[in-house]
Amino acid sequence: MSASNKVTSRDITVLGIRSSFLQASFNYERMQSCGFTWAMCPILEKIYGDDKKQLAGAMVDNMEFINTHPNLVGFLMGLMISLEEGGATREAVKGLKLALFGPIAGIGDAIFWFTILPIVAGISCSFASQGSILGPIIFFTVYLAIWILRIVWTHLGYRLGTKSIDIITENSDTIANSATILGITVIGALIATYVSVTLLPVITVDGGIEVAVQTEFFDRIFPNLIPMCITLLCFYLLKKKVSPIVLIVGIIVLSILGAWIGLV
Amino acid sequence: MEITLMQGLLLALMSIIVGLDFFLEAFFVFRPLMVSTFTGLILGNVELGLKVGALIELAFAGLTPAGGTQPPNPVMAGLMGTVLAYTTGCTPEAALGLCLPFSFLGQYVILFYYSAFSFFMGKADTYAENGDTKGIRRINLTTMFIISVTYGVLAFLCAYVAQEPMQAFVKWLPAVITHGLEVAGGILPAVGFGMLLRVMMKAKYIPYLIAGFLMACFIEMPNLLPVALLGAVFALIDFFGSKQRKQEIEEALNNANLNGNGGDSDVGI
Repeated sequence: MSASNKVTSRDITVLGIRSSFLQASFNYERMQSCGFTWAMCPILEKIYGDDKKQLAGAMVDNMEFINTHPNLVGFLMGLMISLEEGGATREAVKGLKLALFGPIAGIGDAIFWFTILPIVAGISCSFASQGSILGPIIFFTVYLAIWILRIVWTHLGYRLGTKSIDIITENSDTIANSATILGITVIGALIATYVSVTLLPVITVDGGIEVAVQTEFFDRIFPNLIPMCITLLCFYLLKKKVSPIVLIVGIIVLSILGAWIGLV
Repeated sequence: MEITLMQGLLLALMSIIVGLDFFLEAFFVFRPLMVSTFTGLILGNVELGLKVGALIELAFAGLTPAGGTQPPNPVMAGLMGTVLAYTTGCTPEAALGLCLPFSFLGQYVILFYYSAFSFFMGKADTYAENGDTKGIRRINLTTMFIISVTYGVLAFLCAYVAQEPMQAFVKWLPAVITHGLEVAGGILPAVGFGMLLRVMMKAKYIPYLIAGFLMACFIEMPNLLPVALLGAVFALIDFFGSKQRKQEIEEALNNANLNGNGGDSDVGI
Protein backbone atom coordinates (compact mmCIF):
# COMPACT_ATOMS: atom_id res chain seq x y z
CA MET A 1 0.00 0.00 0.00
CA SER A 2 1.56 3.30 -1.05
CA ALA A 3 1.58 6.37 1.20
CA SER A 4 -0.99 8.23 -0.88
CA ASN A 5 -3.56 5.56 -0.02
CA LYS A 6 -3.39 6.38 3.66
CA VAL A 7 -6.77 7.27 5.14
CA THR A 8 -6.62 10.82 6.50
CA SER A 9 -8.59 12.44 9.27
CA ARG A 10 -10.48 14.37 6.62
CA ASP A 11 -11.57 11.13 4.94
CA ILE A 12 -13.05 9.94 8.22
CA THR A 13 -14.90 13.24 8.67
CA VAL A 14 -16.33 12.89 5.15
CA LEU A 15 -17.33 9.31 5.97
CA GLY A 16 -19.19 10.57 9.05
CA ILE A 17 -21.07 13.11 6.92
CA ARG A 18 -21.78 10.54 4.21
CA SER A 19 -23.23 8.21 6.86
CA SER A 20 -26.33 10.42 6.48
CA PHE A 21 -27.00 8.49 3.24
CA LEU A 22 -27.42 5.22 5.15
CA GLN A 23 -31.13 4.97 4.33
CA ALA A 24 -30.97 6.53 0.84
CA SER A 25 -32.35 3.35 -0.75
CA PHE A 26 -34.00 1.71 2.28
CA ASN A 27 -36.04 -1.35 1.33
CA TYR A 28 -37.46 -4.44 2.96
CA GLU A 29 -35.13 -6.90 1.28
CA ARG A 30 -31.75 -5.49 2.31
CA MET A 31 -32.81 -2.50 4.48
CA GLN A 32 -29.88 -0.05 4.67
CA SER A 33 -27.20 -2.03 2.84
CA CYS A 34 -27.12 -0.13 -0.46
CA GLY A 35 -26.94 3.27 1.24
CA PHE A 36 -24.30 1.90 3.60
CA THR A 37 -22.24 0.78 0.61
CA TRP A 38 -22.61 4.16 -1.07
CA ALA A 39 -21.42 6.00 2.04
CA MET A 40 -18.34 3.76 2.21
CA CYS A 41 -17.47 3.89 -1.54
CA PRO A 42 -15.02 6.84 -1.67
CA ILE A 43 -12.94 5.68 1.26
CA LEU A 44 -12.86 2.08 0.03
CA GLU A 45 -11.74 3.33 -3.39
CA LYS A 46 -8.95 5.23 -1.68
CA ILE A 47 -7.79 2.23 0.35
CA TYR A 48 -7.82 -0.23 -2.53
CA GLY A 49 -6.80 2.16 -5.30
CA ASP A 50 -6.74 0.35 -8.63
CA ASP A 51 -7.23 -3.07 -7.11
CA LYS A 52 -10.75 -3.62 -8.45
CA LYS A 53 -10.95 -7.15 -7.07
CA GLN A 54 -10.36 -6.08 -3.48
CA LEU A 55 -12.73 -3.14 -3.87
CA ALA A 56 -15.44 -5.42 -5.26
CA GLY A 57 -14.91 -7.83 -2.37
CA ALA A 58 -15.44 -5.07 0.18
CA MET A 59 -18.48 -3.74 -1.68
CA VAL A 60 -20.11 -7.18 -1.89
CA ASP A 61 -19.73 -7.51 1.90
CA ASN A 62 -21.20 -4.06 2.42
CA MET A 63 -24.21 -4.97 0.28
CA GLU A 64 -25.26 -7.64 2.78
CA PHE A 65 -28.29 -7.01 4.99
CA ILE A 66 -27.85 -4.35 7.64
CA ASN A 67 -30.33 -2.51 9.84
CA THR A 68 -28.78 -0.30 12.47
CA HIS A 69 -29.21 3.16 13.93
CA PRO A 70 -28.55 6.08 11.51
CA ASN A 71 -27.15 8.35 14.21
CA LEU A 72 -24.57 5.83 15.37
CA VAL A 73 -23.74 3.96 12.17
CA GLY A 74 -20.65 6.15 11.68
CA PHE A 75 -19.05 4.36 14.61
CA LEU A 76 -19.42 1.02 12.84
CA MET A 77 -18.21 2.50 9.55
CA GLY A 78 -15.09 3.98 11.18
CA LEU A 79 -14.38 0.67 12.88
CA MET A 80 -14.72 -1.27 9.61
CA ILE A 81 -12.43 1.17 7.82
CA SER A 82 -9.74 0.68 10.47
CA LEU A 83 -9.95 -3.05 9.77
CA GLU A 84 -10.02 -2.69 5.98
CA GLU A 85 -6.98 -0.46 6.17
CA GLY A 86 -5.18 -2.83 8.53
CA GLY A 87 -5.60 -5.59 5.97
CA ALA A 88 -7.99 -7.77 7.98
CA THR A 89 -9.56 -10.72 6.18
CA ARG A 90 -12.96 -10.31 4.50
CA GLU A 91 -14.44 -12.74 7.03
CA ALA A 92 -13.20 -10.60 9.94
CA VAL A 93 -14.70 -7.37 8.58
CA LYS A 94 -17.96 -9.05 7.68
CA GLY A 95 -18.22 -10.84 11.02
CA LEU A 96 -17.64 -7.60 12.85
CA LYS A 97 -20.41 -5.85 10.95
CA LEU A 98 -22.85 -8.69 11.60
CA ALA A 99 -21.93 -8.82 15.28
CA LEU A 100 -22.24 -5.12 15.98
CA PHE A 101 -25.08 -3.67 13.92
CA GLY A 102 -27.72 -5.20 16.21
CA PRO A 103 -26.35 -3.93 19.54
CA ILE A 104 -25.70 -0.49 18.00
CA ALA A 105 -29.31 -0.39 16.77
CA GLY A 106 -30.47 -1.29 20.29
CA ILE A 107 -28.44 1.45 21.95
CA GLY A 108 -29.46 3.98 19.28
CA ASP A 109 -33.19 3.25 19.51
CA ALA A 110 -33.11 3.44 23.31
CA ILE A 111 -31.20 6.71 23.35
CA PHE A 112 -32.45 8.60 20.31
CA TRP A 113 -36.03 7.45 19.74
CA PHE A 114 -37.17 6.47 23.23
CA THR A 115 -35.27 8.97 25.38
CA ILE A 116 -34.07 12.07 23.55
CA LEU A 117 -37.14 12.48 21.32
CA PRO A 118 -39.75 12.46 24.12
CA ILE A 119 -37.60 14.80 26.24
CA VAL A 120 -36.72 17.28 23.50
CA ALA A 121 -40.23 17.14 22.04
CA GLY A 122 -41.77 17.62 25.49
CA ILE A 123 -39.63 20.67 26.25
CA SER A 124 -39.87 22.27 22.79
CA CYS A 125 -43.61 21.73 22.63
CA SER A 126 -44.15 23.38 26.00
CA PHE A 127 -42.68 26.51 24.36
CA ALA A 128 -44.35 26.08 20.97
CA SER A 129 -47.83 25.52 22.39
CA GLN A 130 -47.59 28.98 23.98
CA GLY A 131 -46.76 30.36 20.53
CA SER A 132 -43.03 30.75 21.17
CA ILE A 133 -40.66 30.22 18.24
CA LEU A 134 -38.10 29.07 20.84
CA GLY A 135 -39.73 25.60 20.65
CA PRO A 136 -38.64 24.65 17.12
CA ILE A 137 -35.33 26.50 17.60
CA ILE A 138 -34.45 24.34 20.62
CA PHE A 139 -35.61 21.24 18.76
CA PHE A 140 -33.52 21.96 15.68
CA THR A 141 -30.42 22.93 17.68
CA VAL A 142 -30.46 19.66 19.60
CA TYR A 143 -30.83 17.57 16.46
CA LEU A 144 -28.16 19.56 14.63
CA ALA A 145 -25.79 18.78 17.51
CA ILE A 146 -26.77 15.12 17.29
CA TRP A 147 -26.03 15.18 13.56
CA ILE A 148 -22.60 16.76 14.11
CA LEU A 149 -21.86 14.03 16.67
CA ARG A 150 -22.02 11.51 13.80
CA ILE A 151 -18.60 12.78 12.76
CA VAL A 152 -17.30 12.28 16.30
CA TRP A 153 -18.63 8.70 16.48
CA THR A 154 -16.98 7.90 13.15
CA HIS A 155 -13.58 9.15 14.33
CA LEU A 156 -14.05 7.28 17.59
CA GLY A 157 -14.82 4.01 15.82
CA TYR A 158 -11.82 4.44 13.53
CA ARG A 159 -9.43 5.24 16.39
CA LEU A 160 -10.61 2.62 18.84
CA GLY A 161 -10.60 -0.06 16.15
CA THR A 162 -11.21 -3.55 17.44
CA LYS A 163 -10.83 -2.36 21.03
CA SER A 164 -14.32 -0.89 20.74
CA ILE A 165 -15.98 -4.29 20.24
CA ASP A 166 -15.67 -5.15 23.93
CA ILE A 167 -16.77 -1.67 24.95
CA ILE A 168 -19.97 -1.95 22.93
CA THR A 169 -20.93 -5.50 23.76
CA GLU A 170 -20.18 -5.07 27.48
CA ASN A 171 -21.87 -1.73 27.97
CA SER A 172 -24.82 -1.80 25.57
CA ASP A 173 -27.20 -3.12 28.24
CA THR A 174 -26.10 -0.63 30.90
CA ILE A 175 -26.41 2.33 28.53
CA ALA A 176 -29.82 1.21 27.26
CA ASN A 177 -31.00 0.68 30.85
CA SER A 178 -29.94 4.17 32.02
CA ALA A 179 -31.47 5.77 28.95
CA THR A 180 -34.72 3.90 29.52
CA ILE A 181 -34.99 5.12 33.14
CA LEU A 182 -34.56 8.71 31.99
CA GLY A 183 -37.05 8.24 29.15
CA ILE A 184 -39.71 6.55 31.30
CA THR A 185 -39.56 9.34 33.91
CA VAL A 186 -40.20 11.94 31.21
CA ILE A 187 -42.99 9.88 29.63
CA GLY A 188 -44.73 9.82 33.03
CA ALA A 189 -44.69 13.61 33.03
CA LEU A 190 -45.73 13.82 29.36
CA ILE A 191 -48.82 11.71 30.08
CA ALA A 192 -49.85 14.11 32.85
CA THR A 193 -49.15 17.18 30.72
CA TYR A 194 -50.36 16.34 27.24
CA VAL A 195 -53.12 13.73 27.44
CA SER A 196 -56.29 15.56 28.39
CA VAL A 197 -59.98 14.76 28.78
CA THR A 198 -62.62 16.89 30.44
CA LEU A 199 -65.78 15.17 31.60
CA LEU A 200 -68.84 17.42 31.39
CA PRO A 201 -71.62 15.74 33.39
CA VAL A 202 -72.88 17.31 36.58
CA ILE A 203 -74.27 14.81 39.07
CA THR A 204 -76.93 15.68 41.60
CA VAL A 205 -76.19 13.99 44.90
CA ASP A 206 -78.70 13.68 47.75
CA GLY A 207 -79.87 16.97 49.14
CA GLY A 208 -79.84 18.52 45.71
CA ILE A 209 -76.15 19.41 45.72
CA GLU A 210 -74.72 19.48 42.19
CA VAL A 211 -71.23 18.07 41.69
CA ALA A 212 -69.33 18.63 38.44
CA VAL A 213 -67.62 15.30 37.81
CA GLN A 214 -64.42 16.80 36.46
CA THR A 215 -63.74 20.03 38.32
CA GLU A 216 -65.20 19.10 41.68
CA PHE A 217 -64.40 15.41 41.81
CA PHE A 218 -61.47 14.16 39.71
CA ASP A 219 -59.44 17.37 39.75
CA ARG A 220 -59.67 17.53 43.53
CA ILE A 221 -58.94 13.92 44.29
CA PHE A 222 -56.42 13.08 41.61
CA PRO A 223 -55.87 15.28 38.56
CA ASN A 224 -54.82 13.48 35.39
CA LEU A 225 -55.96 10.12 36.70
CA ILE A 226 -58.15 9.56 33.62
CA PRO A 227 -55.35 10.42 31.13
CA MET A 228 -53.07 7.93 32.93
CA CYS A 229 -55.73 5.23 32.80
CA ILE A 230 -56.35 5.83 29.10
CA THR A 231 -52.62 5.65 28.35
CA LEU A 232 -52.26 2.41 30.34
CA LEU A 233 -55.26 0.98 28.50
CA CYS A 234 -53.58 1.86 25.16
CA PHE A 235 -50.35 0.27 26.42
CA TYR A 236 -52.24 -2.89 27.40
CA LEU A 237 -54.08 -3.13 24.08
CA LEU A 238 -50.86 -2.53 22.11
CA LYS A 239 -49.24 -5.33 24.10
CA LYS A 240 -52.17 -7.54 23.07
CA LYS A 241 -51.09 -6.82 19.47
CA VAL A 242 -53.91 -4.39 18.69
CA SER A 243 -52.69 -2.19 15.83
CA PRO A 244 -52.07 1.49 16.70
CA ILE A 245 -54.21 2.50 13.74
CA VAL A 246 -57.16 0.60 15.21
CA LEU A 247 -56.56 2.46 18.49
CA ILE A 248 -56.41 5.86 16.77
CA VAL A 249 -59.60 5.23 14.81
CA GLY A 250 -61.25 3.80 17.95
CA ILE A 251 -60.40 6.91 19.97
CA ILE A 252 -61.84 9.17 17.27
CA VAL A 253 -65.06 7.16 17.05
CA LEU A 254 -65.48 6.97 20.84
CA SER A 255 -64.75 10.70 21.20
CA ILE A 256 -67.43 11.58 18.67
CA LEU A 257 -69.86 9.21 20.44
CA GLY A 258 -68.91 10.80 23.76
CA ALA A 259 -69.51 14.28 22.34
CA TRP A 260 -72.87 13.14 21.01
CA ILE A 261 -74.17 11.89 24.37
CA GLY A 262 -72.69 14.92 26.14
CA LEU A 263 -70.07 13.06 28.16
CA VAL A 264 -67.05 15.07 27.04
CA MET B 1 -58.30 31.45 4.19
CA GLU B 2 -57.06 30.39 0.80
CA ILE B 3 -53.71 28.96 -0.21
CA THR B 4 -52.21 30.74 -3.23
CA LEU B 5 -50.42 28.92 -6.04
CA MET B 6 -47.14 30.41 -4.83
CA GLN B 7 -47.75 29.11 -1.31
CA GLY B 8 -48.72 25.72 -2.74
CA LEU B 9 -45.44 25.52 -4.66
CA LEU B 10 -43.43 26.60 -1.61
CA LEU B 11 -45.18 23.95 0.50
CA ALA B 12 -44.30 21.35 -2.15
CA LEU B 13 -40.66 22.47 -2.12
CA MET B 14 -40.57 22.36 1.68
CA SER B 15 -42.10 18.85 1.65
CA ILE B 16 -39.45 17.67 -0.81
CA ILE B 17 -36.72 18.68 1.63
CA VAL B 18 -38.30 17.46 4.88
CA GLY B 19 -39.69 14.34 3.16
CA LEU B 20 -36.22 13.33 2.02
CA ASP B 21 -34.95 14.07 5.51
CA PHE B 22 -37.57 11.68 6.91
CA PHE B 23 -36.37 8.95 4.57
CA LEU B 24 -32.75 9.50 5.62
CA GLU B 25 -33.47 10.42 9.29
CA ALA B 26 -30.62 12.93 9.16
CA PHE B 27 -31.57 16.39 10.49
CA PHE B 28 -34.98 15.65 12.02
CA VAL B 29 -36.64 18.59 10.28
CA PHE B 30 -39.30 16.01 9.34
CA ARG B 31 -40.84 15.99 12.81
CA PRO B 32 -44.35 17.54 12.95
CA LEU B 33 -43.14 20.42 15.13
CA MET B 34 -40.65 21.52 12.46
CA VAL B 35 -42.90 20.80 9.46
CA SER B 36 -45.80 22.72 11.01
CA THR B 37 -43.54 25.66 11.85
CA PHE B 38 -42.27 25.81 8.25
CA THR B 39 -45.84 25.50 6.95
CA GLY B 40 -46.94 28.31 9.26
CA LEU B 41 -44.07 30.47 7.98
CA ILE B 42 -45.06 29.87 4.35
CA LEU B 43 -48.72 30.59 5.07
CA GLY B 44 -47.83 33.73 7.02
CA ASN B 45 -49.16 32.50 10.38
CA VAL B 46 -46.25 31.17 12.41
CA GLU B 47 -48.17 31.10 15.67
CA LEU B 48 -50.78 28.77 14.19
CA GLY B 49 -47.99 26.49 12.91
CA LEU B 50 -46.38 26.41 16.36
CA LYS B 51 -49.59 25.52 18.15
CA VAL B 52 -50.67 22.85 15.68
CA GLY B 53 -47.10 21.52 15.48
CA ALA B 54 -46.76 21.17 19.26
CA LEU B 55 -49.98 19.19 19.44
CA ILE B 56 -49.18 16.85 16.54
CA GLU B 57 -45.57 16.38 17.65
CA LEU B 58 -46.66 15.01 21.02
CA ALA B 59 -49.34 12.81 19.51
CA PHE B 60 -46.61 11.39 17.24
CA ALA B 61 -43.94 11.12 19.96
CA GLY B 62 -44.32 7.36 20.18
CA LEU B 63 -44.93 6.73 16.48
CA THR B 64 -41.30 6.21 15.52
CA PRO B 65 -39.59 4.26 12.75
CA ALA B 66 -37.42 2.47 15.35
CA GLY B 67 -36.44 -0.98 14.15
CA GLY B 68 -37.41 -0.37 10.53
CA THR B 69 -41.19 -0.18 10.97
CA GLN B 70 -42.95 2.63 9.16
CA PRO B 71 -45.15 4.87 11.38
CA PRO B 72 -48.01 7.14 10.27
CA ASN B 73 -46.27 9.84 8.24
CA PRO B 74 -45.12 12.80 10.37
CA VAL B 75 -44.48 15.06 7.35
CA MET B 76 -48.00 14.80 5.94
CA ALA B 77 -49.45 15.16 9.46
CA GLY B 78 -47.51 18.34 10.23
CA LEU B 79 -48.20 19.82 6.80
CA MET B 80 -51.89 19.02 6.51
CA GLY B 81 -52.68 19.73 10.19
CA THR B 82 -51.46 23.30 9.75
CA VAL B 83 -52.98 23.69 6.28
CA LEU B 84 -56.40 22.52 7.53
CA ALA B 85 -56.33 24.77 10.59
CA TYR B 86 -55.40 27.67 8.29
CA THR B 87 -57.90 27.08 5.48
CA THR B 88 -60.90 25.96 7.52
CA GLY B 89 -60.28 27.87 10.74
CA CYS B 90 -60.76 24.75 12.88
CA THR B 91 -59.03 24.42 16.26
CA PRO B 92 -55.55 22.82 16.50
CA GLU B 93 -57.13 19.84 18.31
CA ALA B 94 -59.60 19.25 15.49
CA ALA B 95 -56.78 19.72 12.95
CA LEU B 96 -54.92 16.85 14.66
CA GLY B 97 -57.87 14.55 14.04
CA LEU B 98 -58.40 15.79 10.48
CA CYS B 99 -54.75 15.41 9.42
CA LEU B 100 -54.63 11.71 10.25
CA PRO B 101 -56.03 10.38 6.93
CA PHE B 102 -53.23 12.26 5.11
CA SER B 103 -50.70 10.84 7.54
CA PHE B 104 -51.91 7.29 6.84
CA LEU B 105 -51.78 8.00 3.11
CA GLY B 106 -48.13 9.05 3.45
CA GLN B 107 -47.40 5.94 5.50
CA TYR B 108 -48.79 3.62 2.84
CA VAL B 109 -46.92 5.38 0.03
CA ILE B 110 -43.61 4.93 1.87
CA LEU B 111 -44.46 1.31 2.68
CA PHE B 112 -45.01 0.78 -1.05
CA TYR B 113 -41.57 2.22 -1.81
CA TYR B 114 -39.94 0.06 0.87
CA SER B 115 -41.17 -2.95 -1.07
CA ALA B 116 -40.60 -1.48 -4.52
CA PHE B 117 -37.00 -0.46 -3.83
CA SER B 118 -36.18 -4.12 -3.15
CA PHE B 119 -36.11 -4.58 -6.93
CA PHE B 120 -33.04 -2.35 -7.17
CA MET B 121 -31.02 -4.69 -4.98
CA GLY B 122 -30.27 -7.29 -7.65
CA LYS B 123 -28.70 -4.59 -9.77
CA ALA B 124 -26.84 -3.20 -6.74
CA ASP B 125 -25.33 -6.66 -6.17
CA THR B 126 -24.05 -6.74 -9.74
CA TYR B 127 -22.52 -3.28 -9.36
CA ALA B 128 -20.84 -4.35 -6.12
CA GLU B 129 -19.41 -7.50 -7.73
CA ASN B 130 -17.88 -5.34 -10.44
CA GLY B 131 -16.60 -2.73 -8.00
CA ASP B 132 -18.77 -0.17 -9.83
CA THR B 133 -19.12 2.67 -7.31
CA LYS B 134 -20.85 4.90 -9.86
CA GLY B 135 -23.60 2.31 -10.28
CA ILE B 136 -24.23 2.21 -6.52
CA ARG B 137 -24.35 6.00 -6.54
CA ARG B 138 -26.86 5.97 -9.40
CA ILE B 139 -29.23 3.63 -7.55
CA ASN B 140 -29.16 5.73 -4.38
CA LEU B 141 -29.70 8.96 -6.30
CA THR B 142 -32.62 7.38 -8.17
CA THR B 143 -34.38 6.22 -5.01
CA MET B 144 -33.84 9.59 -3.30
CA PHE B 145 -35.19 11.37 -6.39
CA ILE B 146 -38.32 9.19 -6.42
CA ILE B 147 -38.96 9.85 -2.72
CA SER B 148 -38.46 13.61 -3.08
CA VAL B 149 -40.73 13.97 -6.10
CA THR B 150 -43.42 11.89 -4.42
CA TYR B 151 -43.47 14.16 -1.39
CA GLY B 152 -43.57 17.26 -3.59
CA VAL B 153 -46.50 15.97 -5.64
CA LEU B 154 -48.41 14.67 -2.59
CA ALA B 155 -48.00 17.97 -0.76
CA PHE B 156 -49.07 20.04 -3.76
CA LEU B 157 -52.14 17.89 -4.43
CA CYS B 158 -53.29 17.72 -0.81
CA ALA B 159 -52.51 21.28 0.27
CA TYR B 160 -53.26 23.28 -2.88
CA VAL B 161 -55.35 21.36 -5.42
CA ALA B 162 -57.75 19.74 -2.94
CA GLN B 163 -58.24 22.75 -0.68
CA GLU B 164 -61.74 23.73 -1.84
CA PRO B 165 -63.43 20.34 -1.43
CA MET B 166 -61.66 19.96 1.90
CA GLN B 167 -62.89 23.32 3.09
CA ALA B 168 -66.42 22.41 2.02
CA PHE B 169 -66.12 19.04 3.75
CA VAL B 170 -64.98 20.51 7.07
CA LYS B 171 -67.73 23.18 6.92
CA TRP B 172 -70.28 20.45 6.26
CA LEU B 173 -69.20 18.43 9.33
CA PRO B 174 -71.80 18.68 12.12
CA ALA B 175 -70.71 20.37 15.35
CA VAL B 176 -70.84 17.06 17.25
CA ILE B 177 -68.18 15.60 14.97
CA THR B 178 -65.85 18.61 15.10
CA HIS B 179 -66.18 18.70 18.86
CA GLY B 180 -65.56 14.94 18.97
CA LEU B 181 -62.41 15.44 16.89
CA GLU B 182 -61.22 18.08 19.34
CA VAL B 183 -61.73 15.67 22.22
CA ALA B 184 -59.89 12.96 20.28
CA GLY B 185 -57.04 15.42 19.73
CA GLY B 186 -56.60 15.63 23.48
CA ILE B 187 -56.62 11.84 23.91
CA LEU B 188 -54.54 10.77 20.87
CA PRO B 189 -51.13 11.44 22.50
CA ALA B 190 -52.02 8.48 24.77
CA VAL B 191 -51.52 6.13 21.80
CA GLY B 192 -48.03 7.51 21.18
CA PHE B 193 -47.07 7.23 24.84
CA GLY B 194 -48.60 3.75 24.97
CA MET B 195 -46.38 2.74 22.04
CA LEU B 196 -43.30 4.09 23.79
CA LEU B 197 -44.23 2.16 26.93
CA ARG B 198 -44.77 -1.03 24.94
CA VAL B 199 -41.16 -0.96 23.79
CA MET B 200 -39.58 0.33 26.98
CA MET B 201 -41.68 -0.84 29.89
CA LYS B 202 -40.50 -3.52 32.30
CA ALA B 203 -41.77 -4.01 35.84
CA LYS B 204 -38.57 -2.50 37.28
CA TYR B 205 -39.26 0.82 35.54
CA ILE B 206 -42.73 1.36 37.06
CA PRO B 207 -41.47 3.59 39.94
CA TYR B 208 -39.86 5.99 37.46
CA LEU B 209 -43.08 6.31 35.44
CA ILE B 210 -45.00 7.10 38.63
CA ALA B 211 -42.35 9.60 39.80
CA GLY B 212 -42.46 11.56 36.54
CA PHE B 213 -46.25 11.47 36.50
CA LEU B 214 -46.61 12.68 40.10
CA MET B 215 -44.08 15.46 39.60
CA ALA B 216 -45.99 16.81 36.60
CA CYS B 217 -49.35 16.42 38.39
CA PHE B 218 -48.53 18.29 41.54
CA ILE B 219 -45.66 20.68 40.82
CA GLU B 220 -46.08 23.77 38.67
CA MET B 221 -43.36 23.81 36.01
CA PRO B 222 -42.84 26.17 33.08
CA ASN B 223 -41.59 23.24 30.95
CA LEU B 224 -40.48 19.64 31.30
CA LEU B 225 -36.75 20.24 31.81
CA PRO B 226 -36.90 19.66 35.60
CA VAL B 227 -38.47 16.24 35.01
CA ALA B 228 -35.73 15.36 32.53
CA LEU B 229 -33.10 16.36 35.09
CA LEU B 230 -34.79 14.27 37.78
CA GLY B 231 -34.83 11.37 35.32
CA ALA B 232 -31.10 11.86 34.77
CA VAL B 233 -30.58 11.64 38.53
CA PHE B 234 -32.51 8.36 38.65
CA ALA B 235 -30.45 7.05 35.75
CA LEU B 236 -27.20 7.94 37.52
CA ILE B 237 -28.31 6.30 40.76
CA ASP B 238 -29.09 3.12 38.87
CA PHE B 239 -25.86 3.33 36.86
CA PHE B 240 -23.59 3.57 39.90
CA GLY B 241 -25.69 1.04 41.79
CA SER B 242 -25.34 -1.58 39.06
CA LYS B 243 -21.64 -0.81 38.68
CA GLN B 244 -21.10 -1.45 42.36
CA ARG B 245 -23.13 -4.66 42.27
CA LYS B 246 -20.99 -5.88 39.39
CA GLN B 247 -17.85 -5.13 41.34
CA GLU B 248 -19.12 -6.90 44.42
CA ILE B 249 -20.02 -9.96 42.42
CA GLU B 250 -16.58 -10.03 40.86
CA GLU B 251 -14.93 -9.74 44.26
CA ALA B 252 -17.09 -12.48 45.66
CA LEU B 253 -16.20 -14.69 42.69
CA ASN B 254 -12.50 -14.00 43.17
CA ASN B 255 -12.69 -14.89 46.83
CA ALA B 256 -14.60 -18.05 46.05
CA ASN B 257 -11.98 -19.05 43.48
CA LEU B 258 -9.14 -18.48 45.88
CA ASN B 259 -10.82 -20.46 48.61
CA GLY B 260 -11.81 -23.25 46.31
CA ASN B 261 -8.54 -23.66 44.41
CA GLY B 262 -5.87 -23.36 47.02
CA GLY B 263 -7.58 -24.18 50.24
CA ASP B 264 -5.11 -21.61 51.53
CA SER B 265 -6.00 -20.83 55.11
CA ASP B 266 -4.41 -17.38 54.92
CA VAL B 267 -7.00 -16.14 52.43
CA GLY B 268 -10.58 -15.48 53.26
CA ILE B 269 -11.85 -15.89 56.74
